[in-house]
Amino acid sequence: MNEEKLKIKEDAQQWEGGVAKNITFIVTKDCQLACKYCYLVGKNEEERMSWEVAKQAIDYIFDHENDFPERSVVFDFIGGEPFLEIDLIERICDYIKTELFRRQHHWFDSYRFSFSTNGINYDTQKVQRFIEKNASHLSIGITIDGTQRKHDLNRIWKGDGPERGSYNDVVRNIPLWLSQFPGGGTKVTISSADIPYIRESVLHLYSLGIHEVNINVVFEDVWQEGDDRRFEEQLMLLADDIIDGDYYKDYSCSFFSERIGKPLDPVKENNNWCGAGRMLSIDAAGNFYPCTRFAAYSLREKRPIIIGNVRDGINKNRLRPFLTLDRTTQSPQECVDCEVASGCAWCQGENYDAAETPTVYQRSTAICLMHKARVRANNYYWNRLFRKLEKDGSREEFEQNKRNVKPEIC
Amino acid sequence: MLKYLIIQLDSTSTSFCHYAVNRREPCLMPLDTLRKAIRWSMIENVNVQFLYPEYPLPAEYADAIETIDHVKIMQATAADAGKADIVVFDGIASVDADSLSEDMSIVVRTGKKAFFAEYAMLNAILPKVSRLNVVITDIASFADDDFTTYEAALTELAVAVKNEYVGNHPVQFNLLTDRIMLKEMNNCGAGSESLTLAPNGRFYVCPAFYFDDESDSVGDIDNGPSLKNPQLYKLGYAPICRVCDAFHCHRCVWLNRRTTLEVNTPSHEQCATAHIERNASRRLLEAIREVGEFLPGMEIPEIDYIDPFENVRIDR
Ligand code: SF4
Ligand code: SF4
Repeated sequence: MNEEKLKIKEDAQQWEGGVAKNITFIVTKDCQLACKYCYLVGKNEEERMSWEVAKQAIDYIFDHENDFPERSVVFDFIGGEPFLEIDLIERICDYIKTELFRRQHHWFDSYRFSFSTNGINYDTQKVQRFIEKNASHLSIGITIDGTQRKHDLNRIWKGDGPERGSYNDVVRNIPLWLSQFPGGGTKVTISSADIPYIRESVLHLYSLGIHEVNINVVFEDVWQEGDDRRFEEQLMLLADDIIDGDYYKDYSCSFFSERIGKPLDPVKENNNWCGAGRMLSIDAAGNFYPCTRFAAYSLREKRPIIIGNVRDGINKNRLRPFLTLDRTTQSPQECVDCEVASGCAWCQGENYDAAETPTVYQRSTAICLMHKARVRANNYYWNRLFRKLEKDGSREEFEQNKRNVKPEIC
Repeated sequence: MLKYLIIQLDSTSTSFCHYAVNRREPCLMPLDTLRKAIRWSMIENVNVQFLYPEYPLPAEYADAIETIDHVKIMQATAADAGKADIVVFDGIASVDADSLSEDMSIVVRTGKKAFFAEYAMLNAILPKVSRLNVVITDIASFADDDFTTYEAALTELAVAVKNEYVGNHPVQFNLLTDRIMLKEMNNCGAGSESLTLAPNGRFYVCPAFYFDDESDSVGDIDNGPSLKNPQLYKLGYAPICRVCDAFHCHRCVWLNRRTTLEVNTPSHEQCATAHIERNASRRLLEAIREVGEFLPGMEIPEIDYIDPFENVRIDR
């Protein structure tokens, strides 16, 4: 069993290599929860993917192998809550495996199924059977936002009546999940109201045994005056706790990274942050999107960007803007000249949704002050940590062993 | 910088480009709007191009128009076509070569199918005009076979153009000679170098945007233009075009938006046709030089791609 655990962890690191194609099935637009920060404005119970659409999508993708030359593939299943559709997912995965083998496709044995779940159905028999069956090609992340009061602030059950948080329904599944995915990380999303709980939440997740906490501020323009200062204070307190509690040795928090907060060269460091267009999302109607964030249910203001469908295939002209987007062309001059630009992320879908015209070429800078606050706290973290390590004589050992946390590309 | 204002005098004014006029009912620009537009153009120091309808304009309009230096663009069938600076023909077959004169600039709008069927008729037109602009209106429909046919057609037409040059009639033909004369991009410029004023008194990126959706305006004559994201109409913000040397290409921002949903991103069909023209121009330049010295210093390098997208795409 230990060997199996180790294998999954190694795989997970290898799979972060970034050479894989991401193909996302939006299997349902339904979810048991109604998280307050959820960007999915058009969730509903009706739009569930049919087997026919899923099969047509897979057939199209495999019939056009040359258009998908990436060495590996990650099939993502998202919702809503993907595990609400576990029967369909199992059928899709079985078909993918059979077809990869039958066609001797170059993705055979170079594929992964990936899930981001709210964790509520994790221990059901069906989900567990699926996990057992696909263990060597699987990654699953459970979203838990931190302490109960932080989690329940946003992640509440759907429905009328008094608000009911989902913390207890998720946390009971964490031990089982960690036993199956010991390197499992969780995604935490920070909005304005969550700021006071950042420190306690990260520490709480560590205490649950989660070693990798991927935490982001939302890209939407939700920030209030003074949020950046409050955010910085929280991160400084968290920095002290991580350093004083020696958590840095074995745990990671994506807020702290040596790579952020530097100027970026306009020519050599001109990459787009976001992978939209290099990914492919498919919805229940069989439409293709450059990323899920361009589907109608994700957009507040704009029309969806549909780049084809399972019947007619991909309209390659519609992909061209995404495949030629670079950082400087979409950024305002302030960002091009910014002294702390590295690590300042964006979401192409949110850029599009917030843009003054229907374009993916206008970067939203709603997180500007939050990123700058993060950079200041991050500077503090590394200055304090390195000083401590040098005094302990353990800097070299730290450099050799440090967890390789990559900034998450959406 | 804005250099041109296209004033569409009527909702049925002629098209001179890729878009089709989809209004049937004439709707003349109010005289007051026309006067404001002329005044605005003088203040902003921009050149004016008037797009005329078929019917003759009332006398007071004609008088107002003559108060500013301008270019008149009319359909060959328009009542006042004799006064046009640029005459537009719909279809190659509709051009009567005998009616042309050597100082004329003409635009011929044609569909792909008709172009392939009728392009040989251009041989008779080329000796008769000073400039010929052929606009293939449905470029977006080009398929692989069409590119091959297009290349063959241009190769044939290049022979006629060469003969004109050798015979000391240096006719300008957009598909074959513009690239030879250019050292930098010279594209349509809608949204950056030009705007359009429609009969409703509102500005549009170009007439095509007006015909697509009247609510898609970018300001009005009383308050001036207010184009959002204006940088996206500039070459420096067009990741494919800024590395391209098909300098003569239309780079039609309207077609861009229709095909790729972004004004700064061309379709494969636009790029491929422009490169077939570019490469045919290169061969024409070489052919003319076989006869004698011609434009020393102008070179069109040989390239191995027909779509610069392949050179800039980030996923390969
Ligand atoms: S959004 Fe702000 S912090 Fe981020 S790169 Fe732009 S200027 Fe810098
Ligand atoms: S050929 Fe393509 S890349 Fe070049 S100018 Fe024309 S549209 Fe732009």
